[in-house]
Amino acid sequence: MLSRVAESLFWMSRYVERAENTARFLEVNFNLLLDLNDITAIDHPNYWSPLIRVTGDPLNFTDRYPEYNAHTVTDYLVFDRQNSNSIISSIGMARENARSIIDSISSEMWEQINNLYHFLQSVSPQQVHNDPFSFYREIKNASHLFQGITDNIFSRTEGWEFIQIGKYLERADNTARLIDVKYHMLMPKVGQEREHDPVHDSFDTIQWMAVLKSCSALEAFRKVYLSKIDPDNILWFLVLDRTFPRSIAFSICAAQEALWRISGSSRHRYANNADRLIGKMEAELIYTTVEDMYRKGLHRFLEEIEQGLNRIGEQVHLLYFAYHTPKIEPNDVSEALPFTGIAGGRANWSQSQQQQQ
Amino acid sequence: MISLFERYDASSDRFFDEVLTAEGNPRGHYDKMVHRFGQFSLDDISTRRQIVNIFFRNQGITFTVYGKDEGIERIFPFDLIPRIIPSHEWANIERGLIQRIVALNAFLSDIYSSQKILKDRIVPAELVLGSKHFKREFVGVRPPLGVYIHVTGSDIIRDRDGRYLVLEDNLRTPSGVSYMLQNRQALKRAFPVLFDRYKVRPIDNYPQELLRTLQEISPSSRPEPNVVVLTPGIYNSAYFEHSFLARQMGVELTEGRDLVVNNNKVYTRTTRGLQRVDVIYRRVDDDFLDPLVFRADSKLGVAGLINAYRKGNVALANAIGTGVADDKVIYSFVPKIIRYYLGEEPILDNVETWLASNPKEMKYILENLDTLVVKAANESGGYGMLVGPESTQEERERFAEKIVANPRNYIAQPTISLSRHPSFFNDAELGGCHIDLRPYVLYGNSPTIVPGGLTRVALKRGSLVVNSSQGGGSKDTWVIDE
Repeated sequence: MLSRVAESLFWMSRYVERAENTARFLEVNFNLLLDLNDITAIDHPNYWSPLIRVTGDPLNFTDRYPEYNAHTVTDYLVFDRQNSNSIISSIGMARENARSIIDSISSEMWEQINNLYHFLQSVSPQQVHNDPFSFYREIKNASHLFQGITDNIFSRTEGWEFIQIGKYLERADNTARLIDVKYHMLMPKVGQEREHDPVHDSFDTIQWMAVLKSCSALEAFRKVYLSKIDPDNILWFLVLDRTFPRSIAFSICAAQEALWRISGSSRHRYANNADRLIGKMEAELIYTTVEDMYRKGLHRFLEEIEQGLNRIGEQVHLLYFAYHTPKIEPNDVSEALPFTGIAGGRANWSQSQQQQQ
Repeated sequence: MISLFERYDASSDRFFDEVLTAEGNPRGHYDKMVHRFGQFSLDDISTRRQIVNIFFRNQGITFTVYGKDEGIERIFPFDLIPRIIPSHEWANIERGLIQRIVALNAFLSDIYSSQKILKDRIVPAELVLGSKHFKREFVGVRPPLGVYIHVTGSDIIRDRDGRYLVLEDNLRTPSGVSYMLQNRQALKRAFPVLFDRYKVRPIDNYPQELLRTLQEISPSSRPEPNVVVLTPGIYNSAYFEHSFLARQMGVELTEGRDLVVNNNKVYTRTTRGLQRVDVIYRRVDDDFLDPLVFRADSKLGVAGLINAYRKGNVALANAIGTGVADDKVIYSFVPKIIRYYLGEEPILDNVETWLASNPKEMKYILENLDTLVVKAANESGGYGMLVGPESTQEERERFAEKIVANPRNYIAQPTISLSRHPSFFNDAELGGCHIDLRPYVLYGNSPTIVPGGLTRVALKRGSLVVNSSQGGGSKDTWVIDE
């Protein structure tokens, strides 16, 4: 299939997943704060700045907002078009990508993204401040509906695999960041000396439960561990469990299988760098324990996963999207056109210069 | 008379009415249709309207309007009453168009090789060689099969006496054929019963015919030539059509950045590497095709494409430089062109045309601006024209200055009373709306026409402009066997 189409499928899928996860980040934060039983703490900057640190660019935020609080961070992560990772930007990009390949996806998929886009246009920040939970549920449901539609009617062609890779790379990355949020939130309380050993007190357990809920993982977790809400178990579940579809290990495994189906690689033989890197990461996760994570430092461990996922994304890009132009004869063209398809190209001025005949 | 048509005013003294005769009776081929529509209540019509609207919305059939800050997408307005052309009239249109297209192709072939017609002074050389669409780089380049204009969509109108006249030859990248196909689908859903009463000739094979034509011009001898559609992208007003045709033909829809030229061969960039391309059905204008040869700022084209084309490694449909023959000035010479190359009299007449480049005719134009339609020679889509009777004194003065400043660029024609066809202004009211007809001619090994075309209708009351960018809509168009 055309590299451009594959790339747009990948990013369409990835941006929908990103929007869903940003909604989850915000939701987990509200959940945590409600459990504090201290209404005055809700706007405390320490509870909101970590969200910006793990999802975006703090400088971009502080340039334009006076302080970290529930309103400013929600505005930045949901509505701010200058923040390329905000929900509204993500859905806008998902829609742009879908629109550019509208003939390669089904009309139901397009309609769902388009509906979500228009829903976001119709919501005011005040509505979200008044009732954050309904709003985030709406975003999650819309994302699930999109993925469900895709699952039900998209042919299992190469395009499908790119949709899967986009979704699961993004999900693994976001679950890592979500756990990282929790980690950051503990920082002010735990102090530097306890960096490698998150506190095990009961209040903390309640917060970990909130994290589980935000991954829709509480019930699945209980089936495995009954009611033993122990941070080590939770960490194991969200990072290493191979049956829960939002865990990091599951997502990496799913992305790996999609990559294999494209390249024909298998466990015993890899065909390219993307397959090699993801295979290596998967193998490492199989043999990692929660102890290992603590030993390395949870933050560093998660950061390494995020970096690894980035490298895999780069390799996918190089391999399949930015197809290398062969050596160009000097008398053929003076210079090759740069490939401009990254993450859904912008409007191109000269496209609109043509008149209809 | 029958209910819906009771209050319909054909005004047949001023216009040719497609459906009713001067006496107010339905013409023979419309008789059954008028009776059938007469049995519908206004509620029926509005139910049918809903069905059609849902169909178009689900298909995503929209177009974009220029001139505002941002392109606005609209659903292309569709009128429920079909336009019917009896087979004997169609036979004449078909013969006339094929004659015209063959002659225009011979003209292109000539001016891009020995230029005999210029040497014989049938067409003034300065008009051809000075046209902005004449591409001197292509003199001596012979396209596959010697065919330049593989897809054309000539605009045909009817004057007060019902004579079919050619108004324009669109030889570059005419659009609208997807509407022709979708209109038929929409009408079948809304009024299946109408189709029982008539033997309507099918048009659904157009995409297959188009693909066959494109495969015929493949320069390679491979049994399954790789055909792609080249679109300017999603922001182009006709993007829907590009993607529709690609899907219907089962070929890849590409943008410039999907194609790459290496060693004078064209390839698509795919996830499995580079795939050779044999034929490009390009919906990108000449000037944007290759930044190395034409506009350097174009991001829509493919660097090196023109060299690959000149080397004969890839075919383009339509060929480059065809715009020189649909220039509105050259248009006035088409009857002479037909006589010159074919030795035949034109079957379809032109609309009378005055050229501002001729001093005597310029004088006439300037003196009669209030009754004439003045058009810029190289514009399309209803842009850059002055409709005399609807213009203000100020507009006419402004236009007069432009004409004097650049006579080569302007022509004038009498304001034709385009024929009218009953149409719904809205669901409640039937009115006479001006229409034209755009059949699509395909030319590979030989020219063929799918029976029908796009009937465009000016849905603004009294308006003569049928272009979609100016508030026009369309009708399903039936060629029937009686």
